Amino acid sequence: MRKMFVVALREYFAAVRTKSFLVTLIIMPVLMSGSLLMQWLLRDYHDTKTKRFAVVDRSADARLYSSIEKAIQRYNEHTIDPATKKAILPRFEIEQVAASSPEPDAVAEQRLELSQRVQKGELFGFLDIGTEVLQPPLDESGRPKKVVRYQSNRPTNLDFPHLVEEPILFAIQELRFERERVREPISRLRAILRSVPIEAMGLTRRNPANGKIEDASLQSRIAPVAVPIGFLLLMFMVVMMTATPMMQGVVEEKMQRIAEVLLGSVRPFDLMLGKLLGMTAVSLTITSVYLGGAYWAAREYGFAEYIPPELLAWFVVFQSLAALMYGSLFIAVGAACTDMKETQNLMWPVMLLAMMPMFLMGSVLQEPNSVVATTFSFVPFSTPMLMILRQSVPPGVPWWQPLLGVVLVLLTTLLCVWAAGRIFRVGLLMQGKGARFGEMFRWVFHE
Amino acid sequence: MSAVAIEAVSKSFRQHVAVDNLSLQVPRGSIYGFIGPNGSGKTTTLRMIMRIFFPDAGVIRVLDESAQTQRSILDRVAYLPEERGIYKQMGVREVLRFYAELKGFRDSRADIDAWLKRMDLLAWADKKVQTLSKGMAQKVQFIATVIARPELILLDEPFSGLDPVNAETLRDAILELRRDGATILFSTHDMSVAEQLCDFIFMIYKGRKVLDGTLESIQDAYGSDTARVRLDGAARLDDLPGVAKVTDLGRAQELRLAPEADTQEILAELMRRGRVRQFEIGRPTLHDIFVRIASPEETNHA
Repeated sequence: MRKMFVVALREYFAAVRTKSFLVTLIIMPVLMSGSLLMQWLLRDYHDTKTKRFAVVDRSADARLYSSIEKAIQRYNEHTIDPATKKAILPRFEIEQVAASSPEPDAVAEQRLELSQRVQKGELFGFLDIGTEVLQPPLDESGRPKKVVRYQSNRPTNLDFPHLVEEPILFAIQELRFERERVREPISRLRAILRSVPIEAMGLTRRNPANGKIEDASLQSRIAPVAVPIGFLLLMFMVVMMTATPMMQGVVEEKMQRIAEVLLGSVRPFDLMLGKLLGMTAVSLTITSVYLGGAYWAAREYGFAEYIPPELLAWFVVFQSLAALMYGSLFIAVGAACTDMKETQNLMWPVMLLAMMPMFLMGSVLQEPNSVVATTFSFVPFSTPMLMILRQSVPPGVPWWQPLLGVVLVLLTTLLCVWAAGRIFRVGLLMQGKGARFGEMFRWVFHE
Repeated sequence: MSAVAIEAVSKSFRQHVAVDNLSLQVPRGSIYGFIGPNGSGKTTTLRMIMRIFFPDAGVIRVLDESAQTQRSILDRVAYLPEERGIYKQMGVREVLRFYAELKGFRDSRADIDAWLKRMDLLAWADKKVQTLSKGMAQKVQFIATVIARPELILLDEPFSGLDPVNAETLRDAILELRRDGATILFSTHDMSVAEQLCDFIFMIYKGRKVLDGTLESIQDAYGSDTARVRLDGAARLDDLPGVAKVTDLGRAQELRLAPEADTQEILAELMRRGRVRQFEIGRPTLHDIFVRIASPEETNHA
């Protein structure tokens, strides 16, 4: 028992006192938040190169084109910052292409021609307005068919179709008015038909400090999504940050023959548990740094109430369990390999296990108490991450679920530690060739 | 009571038989030398004594496990693997304290200082192991092995790569540990070290025990069948009558005499061929015995 702590202490200080630990501690969140930060920094940046579009208006007399042209003109007036005279948005140019004859072959031929012009770079994309645009036919489910299409080889940039969508609708509405001989001014009908958007918000509550009723804040909308995702990413990141060096340490011990000395002094199970305790302590150190920072930031920006202390406590519990469970898997991988390169091959199944909660994140966020989410949160390898995810999405989970999760994870961890110990003892002394999964399995059950 | 009792132990790795029906008694307080060619099973035997490997068959008893003592059997045995076996990133004093605590020896500070002083490493006490020279690192490894005052000490090639001064320091340390009551078992390729240091010598070849006993008893078994000869001028000696084998040592020749050979006749023949500087009849050296057993041509003769 004492020796276990001797090993744990050594592992802890060996990990924490290195320069690379400090560097990783700083670099990791920068990397993780880097992409978000990048997007935020570039939110006002647009490519200001002029873009050219073609418009084929197949409607009767091509009466929609002029409305599009007007809308583009209005838009182009705003592409230059009046103060600095610098372009802030790309200018759009449009050209009208005479509609081909309405036979399907001819239409397809024209679309091919225009597509080739896009390919050559003459055009950014083209808009094709169908002949039936004035009254699109209905499909089987009673919805109007889509008769206007925007074709481009850059389907992610939809600025142009978004810009012209409403002008086209308005123009068509006017044409329909004309056709139906409605006497009322169109503005009146627009007022009657104005759409009614719904805003998704959190709950209104009474502020316990001053007794006033407070409306749901912006934070109350972001937090229920941001907090769970943040928890999940933090847990995954910390596990990777601590388990990977640990695995490298095991390979090093094996290569340097330190393992023989260790096994001559400590039982494999104690050694394994000692290493894992050391690693868990490292992960808790990192967690406390990051959580502390996050909590401070949350208070600063008014999010604090969405991270209740009991949730933080549960996070620490599941973080420790994740470190123990994945740590034992990583150690087993390290023990089975003879050099660092070999670990790559054996690592991907473990990585896949660790990443499974990531794949399920979306569906769990949507329905944290669905059968699928609940079931997967009791699969021990997913439990730490998915349970904290489900707990942090309001309204939370029944009280017994995290407890049952803890028990299952602990049992799995014990099993993993035991198996890792067996693999450690056999695998550590294997020199030369690394192990395959079948062999690792045999080591576990063979005495 | 033996410090180590190995009874009919065998161990195979897949098809390869590493140790084959081996028996050995290591008396307490003795220095026992393991010799044998590379790959003959020395390290496997040491690892089995350490319980890193378990034998496929047979029993290994280490120390007296029923003895009334606070320390577990693992704490009373220490093992120095061949080369390395020490954390490079840790400080010298730090790593020694770790190894002491790993053996359950808690108050090690004074012992560490004493050992560092005697091994001439005090100036390096707070340096990292990776900054040490190979010889110094090897001394640190030795201290790490014995720091917890083990009763049985297993050393795998402790002398390899040490300069004569360091080798002497190490030899003195081993002798002193024995004086304090420890049993020492070490493997070596250096026959002269084995001859000088060991109370008992044990040779393993292809997993089997081929020699076991005191140096004298081993040499007696071979009798006085060796002549060491120095002649002025080069002369062919391999056609000498009554000589089974000639080993050219460079400045001298070692003749293995055939059974029933007449040494007087051989000397007379030598005098005819050149000026004899030295002619000495004696028992074969351990080196010679080793070569006789392990060299491929000898095996073919047998």
